[in-house]
This record gives sequence, structure tokens and C-alpha cells, in this order.
Amino acid sequence: MDVKKSVLEIVSSLSERDAGQITPDMDLVGDLGIDSPKALQLLLELEERLEVEISDEDAAKMNTVGDILDYFASRA
Amino acid sequence: MNPWLSDLPATVPEALERAGRAFPDRGMAIFDSRGRKYERRTWTEVHQGAVQAAGRWAALGVSPGQPVMISVPTSWTWVDAWLGALMRGALPVAVAPGAAMGAAEAHVRKVDTLVERLGAKYVVTSEALRRDAQALGADHAAGAVLTPAELAGTTPATFSAPTPGVDDIAFLQLTSGSTGMPLAVQIPHRSAIHNAAATDEAIGAPHGGPSAVWADSLVAWLPLHHDMGLIGCFFLSMLAGIDFWLFPPTAFLARPRTWLDHLGSHGKSFVPAPNFGYQLCVERVTENDREGLDLSSWGSAMTGAEMVRPETIDAFCEAFGPVGFRREVFRPCYGLAEATLTVAVDLTGNGPRTRSLPGSAGSDFGLSEVVCVGSAIRDTEIQVVAPDGSELPDGEIGEVRVAGPGVFAGYYNAPEASAEALKEGRLATGDLGFMWQGELYLTGRIKDVLILHGHNIMPHELEWQAESVTDGGGSMRTGAFSVARGPQGEEAVVVVETNDRDADKLNELGREIRNRIGRNLSIPVADLVFVRRGQIPKTTSGKVQRRALKAQYLEGQLQRLDPSQD
Repeated sequence: MDVKKSVLEIVSSLSERDAGQITPDMDLVGDLGIDSPKALQLLLELEERLEVEISDEDAAKMNTVGDILDYFASRA
Repeated sequence: MNPWLSDLPATVPEALERAGRAFPDRGMAIFDSRGRKYERRTWTEVHQGAVQAAGRWAALGVSPGQPVMISVPTSWTWVDAWLGALMRGALPVAVAPGAAMGAAEAHVRKVDTLVERLGAKYVVTSEALRRDAQALGADHAAGAVLTPAELAGTTPATFSAPTPGVDDIAFLQLTSGSTGMPLAVQIPHRSAIHNAAATDEAIGAPHGGPSAVWADSLVAWLPLHHDMGLIGCFFLSMLAGIDFWLFPPTAFLARPRTWLDHLGSHGKSFVPAPNFGYQLCVERVTENDREGLDLSSWGSAMTGAEMVRPETIDAFCEAFGPVGFRREVFRPCYGLAEATLTVAVDLTGNGPRTRSLPGSAGSDFGLSEVVCVGSAIRDTEIQVVAPDGSELPDGEIGEVRVAGPGVFAGYYNAPEASAEALKEGRLATGDLGFMWQGELYLTGRIKDVLILHGHNIMPHELEWQAESVTDGGGSMRTGAFSVARGPQGEEAVVVVETNDRDADKLNELGREIRNRIGRNLSIPVADLVFVRRGQIPKTTSGKVQRRALKAQYLEGQLQRLDPSQD
């Protein structure tokens, strides 16, 4: 399973941006406009698609797209 | 008088004890953060948990009258810690847990400031927050953290339970202060009990009595740190003796369908929620997803805590009509933390009604029709007044003022803010509206506040973040406000004065401001507007005139420096 591709697809659909335009340095809220209801949808979709349970503590550290990718990389 | 209301307990500890005794089979269930599993306790067990936690607070040296902060997600830990502090006679203060994603640092800073300002000895929160606070040098927070495990591991001490008077303060409810610093609303036992009971009575008006007569359960997803969750759900169920099914807001926001499923499976039920929650159901529960739902047992869907939007009501009825939802189930209501919770409720049960805005008045919310939020609950009086304080006749717009037992006992340690909110014994709500045949219609606000997803945000909070990027903060060179953008509700707009003209520089600055606000407040800026220095309207003393600025923005009079940005 390509984790990076899945993450970008989920972020892309929630932020209504083309996946090709999304870069790791982008802030989820500031750059991509992901508000709190969308952030929770994002977490749930990540969990279900990538079969993990993300702790509140880990989620609180995810400010950018790169932070999400790093989280999965560190678990691999 | 309604017989049930004459038999009310006087204080919160009495209410809790009575719930266990009078309704032995009823109780409360709390779901996990994803809405999958739940743990249920009877009201007797809830009471026992609170008594035990009170003993733990006593053992930890917490004395009556002392603020104790609770900042954990919706859970039994929250309930035990909060009720336990109250039973100890201390002042529980619920603080929203950090954002679901990101913004960990901002949350630590907020908790740190609150611990210092309230003089709280403890804040019940995670071990992670203690570590982060230590790393950031947030010493007040770091020194006050008590983890759920540490609280649970404390051996309860025996203590003489204080017998609170009805006018003693039961708890503090945080709200956004007009200066951007949070204020703590003091709620006496009398107000908490009266408001929850009177809300229940008002909700029951078209059903022939309080909820115990016609309903089995309340199925909610509101946070307990919000007045609508605390008073309108938790206290109301405890007093009424119905079952309370509680989803953490995270579980609802991640998947609204789970909540709708439960609504259909716990007998006749009702629910309070802000407008955006109903909107989210429309958007996120797709047509295929609606199959198998049965909303016919839904008795009342209270809608309040932010502007009730006619288009949301229409869209919800259209989407869920085929699975048994009826339009008359919708019941608009109005309230605020300074009134404990409820001020007005639609008593008719005939479905939401609207009126056109009177005269030439324009609405702040982009609405031409405004929704009736009903009539005053028991013992409560609503007035609409002109700026000079004189009462206005039906159909004329003015500030909404409220008198009654729900009106709060001032802010904790903030006499000036208290004096500003309480005028001649009446609560000056800062909301605008008009009366029509005994019913209230809300049209806008005098107070500068953004209400995003049911939560109040002061414009200063956004402005300060933007200014901290441009010049260190406090320069009065930004103005923030909210605008209505379709049925989702309000969105944040930030206007920034600058001398820069270079498009690349402005783009970079814009990005930095959006990200600063995003990381610290978890709020996306829907529109960021750069204007020349001196373009933001100000008073002679240099204060930003946000209403004038917003009017200019809406009329397209602001000269944007950044035509490329949307």
C-alpha cells in the first residue's frame, strides 16, 4: 500500500485541491483550509484506510501534510 | 405550576443524589472518541463516582472555593473530575481539550495563561501536556498538571461535605472575553438547576409535559465544556430522569451517521445542536448512507448556539424527510453562557417560522428572513432596547436584554467586565433582535464576536496573531470579523494594512498569517485582504471599527492590494 499516495488523496479530497498541488510543507489549516470538522474526518479516513489508530497526542503534533507523512514513516 | 418543577432539588449535589434515588434504572452512557463503544453508568453510579472523586480532591488539598481546571476529552474521567470538584465545594472550570489535529503548542499556552489567571492549583489533563509545558517553559501549566491516572490513583480522604447555599457559585463556565482573554462566568446552584429544568419544561411544551413524560433519551454530541452540553444535556437529563447518550464531539464530527443511527435506537428522544451540526449531517450523510436510518422517533431537534439558518432547516428536512424526519421536530432556541444557557425556546412545535427583516435593516448574516427563536422560558423576561436603554416596540431592532434566575453572578475576578454585562440587573447580551407578538427574532450582534461551529471567537485573537507576524502584535493595523458564506455558517475574514506592494512579498506574508492563525487558533481564514495603511476605519482613539470595516468589505469598498488572491 502506498501510504504517501493515500495520504495525499485523502488530504486532496478534503481540501478540494488537486493532489499534485499539495506539498509536504503545507499547513493543514492555514494553507489547505481544513477546519475542525474536516480535521476529524481526515483522522478517521487515515485510520480506516491505513488501518492504524492515531492517538490524540500524535494527532496534536500534526500541523502540516509532512507531519502526517512523517508519522507514518516513523511507524513503517 | 407544573408539579415536577415544584419538586426541584436546590443544588447540584442534591440533584445528583436525587437522580440516583428517583430514577434507579436511568443513567448516562459515554461513547469512545470514535463513537464505537460506550460505557454506561446509572445515575447512582455517577453519584458514587463523584463522591469518590470529591474525596480525592480533598486528599489533594483542594479546598472549597478554589478553581480546578479540567481539560480532557469527553469521558468518565471528565465527569468524575468535574462533578467531584463541585461536590468538594471547589469551582470546576472545564477547558476545551486541544484541537483534534495540530496546534499542540497553542493549547499549552492557553492552559498556562488560564492556570495563572484563575489561580488554579490543578488542571486535569494528559501527561503529554505536562511534557510539552515543561519543554516550552510554560511553568504555570507544567506545575499544575494532574493526569487522569494520578487523580484516579489518589486515595480518597474523608472530608466534611460542604452544604452549598442556592446562591453559592457551583462552577465557572469559560467564555471569550471582549479583550480576547477568556472570562469565567460564575453560575450559582440556583441558576444551574432552574435553567436546566425550565429548558426541559419549554422543550416539553408541545409534548404535554417535561421530557420524563414523553421521552426516553437524550442523544447528544455536544462537548461538556460548552453550556449547551453541560446544562442543556447533562444537567437536563440528570434532573429529568431520562437516559443520556453522549458522543464525544470528535465522534460526531468524524462520522455524523453514527450519531443519527443511535438517535433512532433509544426510544423517543430529543437532541440539542448548533446549526452547523445539522448542516454537517446534510453534507456528510449521503443519500446511500441514509438508507436504513429511522428518524421517526425523534421528538425535538433543538437548534441554537449560533444563528439558525432557514436554508439548513430546509436542506435537512429534504434530506431526512424520506427517513421519517418531520419539519415540526425542529425547534429553534436562543441562549448564552451568561444566562446559564437558555433564554428562549420555540414553544409551539409547529416548525420553524421566519419573518422578513423589518424596514430597511440589513442583516449581518446575509439573511433577508430571520428565524423565530421562540419565547422566554419560565420566570425569564426578554426586552429589546434602544442604545439609551429604553424598551422598543414590536418589530424594532435593538439589543436583547434578559432578566431572570438564569442571569449569571458576574465574571470571576473581573468586576469591570461584569459591570459592562449587567446593566440595571439585566444581562446586556450584545445580541441584536426584535420582538414580535411575544417571540424573539435574532438579527445580528453588537458585540464583535465570530461564532464558528458554535464556538465564540473574539476578533482580537485573530488580529493579534496577524499582527504578531507583521509587527509584533497590538499595532491596530488589522481587523477581523466573520461573514456568512452559504449554509455552513460564518467564516473568518482578516483585513491587514501594509506598505508592501510587491506581489511575492504579499503572498508570502499572507501565507505566514494564515498559518500562524491556523496553528494557534485552528481557524482557516476564508479571506485575507491586504489594504494600504490608513484604510481600516478607526475611532479617534485608534480603535479598529470592525462593524464599519465589515460593511465596507461587504459593499466591495475595500481597495485590495492583492487582486490575485481570493
